[in-house]
Amino acid sequence: MNNLKYLITVFICLTVLSAAIIYLYANDNVTTLSKEDTLVVASFYPVYVAAENLVDGVDGITLKNLSEPQTGCLHDYVLTPEDMKLLSDADVFVINGGGIEAFLSEVAEAYPALTVVDAGINIEKASESDENGHAHDHEDEENAHYWMSIPLYEQQIEAMRDGLCAYFSTDKAVSQKDGSNRSPDDHTTNIATQITDNASAYLSALQDLQSRQADIAEKLAGQKVILFHEAYEYVAEDYGLEVAYLLDLDEERQVSAGEIADVMQAIEENGVSLILAEEQYGKELGDLVSEETGADVIYLDTIVRGGEADHPDAYLTRMQNNIDLLANYAAKNKP
Amino acid sequence: MHNLFAYTFMQNAFIAILIISPMLGILGTMVVHKRMAYFSDALGHSALTGIAIGTLLGMTNASLAMVVFGILFALLLNRIKFRTKASVDTLISVCASVSLAVGLAVLSKGGSFAQYSSLLVGDVLSIKKTELPVLAAAAVCTLVYWGFALNSLTAISIHPTLAKSRRMHVNLIEDLFAVLIAVLVMLSIRWIGVLLINALLILPAASARNIAVNMRQYHLFTLLIALFSGILGLFVSYYTNVATGPVIVIYAGIIYFATYWRSKTG
Repeated sequence: MNNLKYLITVFICLTVLSAAIIYLYANDNVTTLSKEDTLVVASFYPVYVAAENLVDGVDGITLKNLSEPQTGCLHDYVLTPEDMKLLSDADVFVINGGGIEAFLSEVAEAYPALTVVDAGINIEKASESDENGHAHDHEDEENAHYWMSIPLYEQQIEAMRDGLCAYFSTDKAVSQKDGSNRSPDDHTTNIATQITDNASAYLSALQDLQSRQADIAEKLAGQKVILFHEAYEYVAEDYGLEVAYLLDLDEERQVSAGEIADVMQAIEENGVSLILAEEQYGKELGDLVSEETGADVIYLDTIVRGGEADHPDAYLTRMQNNIDLLANYAAKNKP
Repeated sequence: MHNLFAYTFMQNAFIAILIISPMLGILGTMVVHKRMAYFSDALGHSALTGIAIGTLLGMTNASLAMVVFGILFALLLNRIKFRTKASVDTLISVCASVSLAVGLAVLSKGGSFAQYSSLLVGDVLSIKKTELPVLAAAAVCTLVYWGFALNSLTAISIHPTLAKSRRMHVNLIEDLFAVLIAVLVMLSIRWIGVLLINALLILPAASARNIAVNMRQYHLFTLLIALFSGILGLFVSYYTNVATGPVIVIYAGIIYFATYWRSKTG
């Protein structure tokens, strides 16, 4: 059985090699989490940046973001082992809602005790009552890019604030941490107050942003647009734009020749002069259509990605950039 | 360092690997022996067609659609193999390409292929506890079939006409074998991925064949190699945050080259 010995030698070599790789890798990626802290995990960037503003400066809370995909939207995202580890340590999981977190059922199944704060809960309720009478024809999932609309984002902040405060004012927050059954003490009540204060400050900053947006919206209202991403439906709504055609471009989205022809036709028939597109996936098609029809293409930020290191004001500045881009367009195309 | 068995998803994945890799390995011994590597590859790719047809028919259970289509496709390939005088690999290639094209065409309608792309790479962490018994049942079927049919399969692979003259049910045994491969491939494809499933089937047996001197060793080595690369691959992928299927296949690949080198020099 010399061959068996050989095989076992190969196995041992590979095991040692792998152990070395794991050792090197694990040492590179030590995440330090204070056991005392309440761990709040956000599902992806827009949620993370919102939560960041709410828990800013609050002691006893660690905020983390899931590793999130580097491309595309969250629709087909699968959780990595790192995410699963993070969630198993988490106390609160803050999500955007609206079905964009396709992995949510998986998480709920694996960690039934995890408190989930759904930031989109009020928006979902509202849209459901809107649709009264219609048979629910959710062919795909609904459009959950709520954060692209400033008023809806404000609603998300409120829902998030309420959810977090509710968590900290129940027994759960206290008993989970030290195993006792004490009722909420001064510390957790204090946290809830701080979060409420933070939320008010952030909401007032968002109100300012919204009023700046409203100024531009006045000039653009009623214009017809073509959208190259469903997230911009909310932008169109905020600015009172009329959507002539929506082509939802995403990662790996293959556009057929027929669809491009449809876009061209929609531009011609409606006299559209404005297209909203995303830089990453809509650039090629945007340039092509713009060249062919002379319509202006504006590449708006969907703010779907960002890093944990980004400034907490990132939403405000990136949204302001979007407003500026549309303001430029409005100034250039004065009637 | 974390204790990786503290997580339910890792326990499930571990058990699944313990079932999947030896089963695929065992079937692989015969796939390699009968030079059917291309056959099983075509079968793996047809998973997409199965899902596509399932979607068209409004089946909510994608796994069931895949298994049913996989079985039909495997039987069809077998029929073609028995009947035709043309080159088998060309025919398999034609069937595989056509079925893949149909699958892609249906799934990419409306540009929605992205939601199926996870199927290409697979996700071993998504195994649910309720799915483990199905896997275990498939494993038992494999073992039972193996106990009854190994000798016949070997005989058929060596000399089909002679086997027939010994009153062996050549067609039945071959069809059952194809069905078994189809079922196991389709059950594991969501976790291993379309692109790599065949590697798990072929590599352990191919490596074992390099160094085994008899059938007993061939099977033993295949089992060892399949289990080893499966378990080590799972651990390494867990700690390094890399998809599991590819890591397992890399290990199996390294072992293949090590045994190949041994067979040339030893």
